[in-house]
Amino acid sequence: MALLRSNASTAPLLKNRVPLVRVQRPLVGALAVGVFLAAWQIIGSNEIIRSDLISYPSEIVATLGEMVGSGELGANLAVTLIEFIEGFVPACILGVAAGLAFALCRRLRYLVAPLFAALYSAPMIAFVPIIVVWFGVGRDSKVAMVFLAAVIPIIINTTTGVNEVSEAWIRAVRAFGAGRRQVIVKAILPGALPAVMAGIRLGVGRAIVSLVAAEMYVSILGIGRLIQVYSNGGRAAAIFVLVGIVSTFGLVCVNALRVLEHRLAPWRGGR
Amino acid sequence: MSDAAVTRESGSLAQRRASDRRERIVLGTAGVIALFVAWQVAADYGLLNPTIGSSPRLIAQAFMAQWQSGDLLADLRVSMTEFAAGFLLALVVGVGIGIAMGMSRILEYAVDPFIWFLYSSPLIALYPVIVVWLGFGTTTVIAVSFLLTVVSVIVNTLAGVRSVEPMLVRAVRAFGGGRRAVVMKVILPASVPLIAAGARIGLGRALLGVVLGEMFSSNAGLGFRISYYAGRLRTADVFVALLLLIAIGLATDKIFKHVEARLQRWRPR
Repeated sequence: MALLRSNASTAPLLKNRVPLVRVQRPLVGALAVGVFLAAWQIIGSNEIIRSDLISYPSEIVATLGEMVGSGELGANLAVTLIEFIEGFVPACILGVAAGLAFALCRRLRYLVAPLFAALYSAPMIAFVPIIVVWFGVGRDSKVAMVFLAAVIPIIINTTTGVNEVSEAWIRAVRAFGAGRRQVIVKAILPGALPAVMAGIRLGVGRAIVSLVAAEMYVSILGIGRLIQVYSNGGRAAAIFVLVGIVSTFGLVCVNALRVLEHRLAPWRGGR
Repeated sequence: MSDAAVTRESGSLAQRRASDRRERIVLGTAGVIALFVAWQVAADYGLLNPTIGSSPRLIAQAFMAQWQSGDLLADLRVSMTEFAAGFLLALVVGVGIGIAMGMSRILEYAVDPFIWFLYSSPLIALYPVIVVWLGFGTTTVIAVSFLLTVVSVIVNTLAGVRSVEPMLVRAVRAFGGGRRAVVMKVILPASVPLIAAGARIGLGRALLGVVLGEMFSSNAGLGFRISYYAGRLRTADVFVALLLLIAIGLATDKIFKHVEARLQRWRPR
């Protein structure tokens, strides 16, 4: 199985530029966002384009206040968060354990590799309806969906990461008299950590999309449910609020993982 | 003498590799077959409720029924058209935006926050807004697919343009090449590997976009069928569409891997 990466990083290759660039980037970026928001505000609030279709920034902020004030947002966000945690934590634990098993046993890995490749390249959302048939319209189907979406990249990356751990590390640990258990804890797990974390990061993204889609498909409570409710009412402002909330949640997760990775592997330094 | 030893050694290595490959294929096939057999046995012996869990035999029957009625081909045609339209549109627009951003620093800085937002936000949640604009049906599905795909193409094209050796650009300029020549003769060919990588990621996202769009805002295609049949507890029919989507995802990825390798062939190693 090959290591899964979310995307290429934009490496700065034209290095011979003036340091002014440091100031320019945030400045130009902020300016562009500012112009966009201002234009949106003017077009929306003056009804140049119907504001119930595109809303405008100040209305979105007001709607956010309203939804927080009424407790609607908090209650639904709590449900979604709990569903996410209940699916994601087992996905991490079982994913790493299964990945480790597949890496250490070559035959087992060959046996399951095509199944995981198929599950990984399939569009996750397509599983939502059948998961709902199996687990019901309530929370269980959302938890199962989060688990399914997250566990596959974690397994694949753990397997690849463990297989790519330097032979020298393992030999060094063995040379100091370590047994099988210690080889796993002291050499294999730390060595595979970057790949595992990359898998977990991919899992976060897939899990969030699948969770919101599953809630939108059918549910009683949750952010996805709210999106569905407001989409029928034609209230763009509320939709934008909810999109913002889910985006923020994704960003918080990714940054938390970065901090965690740094804590777990301080020797790697940097970000 | 040492030559002979080397050949024999590499020969055995190649042999070992071939036998490893054979083992991989045999075991992989066995794994898939074992899954289907276990599924069928579980359904036959009542370990699994066939209404809920279906079974390979029921799925095969459902496949034949859908094939004969023509539903299958109709859905497939709708989905594949939307998939192709969303993906190709995203490829063209994404490469265009990516190259423009790569060549103009100001443009890159200005567009960057928006790309970053698109990349991190759950675009499915925006579908109600898109439906309001484009209406219910094919156009919306293509738009969702396009939006999901275009970001990864832009990000990777930009990375590709950034990876271009500045010397090559200077060489074309020195021989009197204009902006057009720089793009066509240096930047595009040099960015091909990363563009292809972005397109491959985009392929999966485009298919996801199609399923998403069809499930929530269309009345045709495989994504729609999945939710339609699931709502009527016709699980075997759900699995027909689901397995088809898995096959499409796998096949397009494999095909694209070949295209990617082929695009790389002229490059000196």
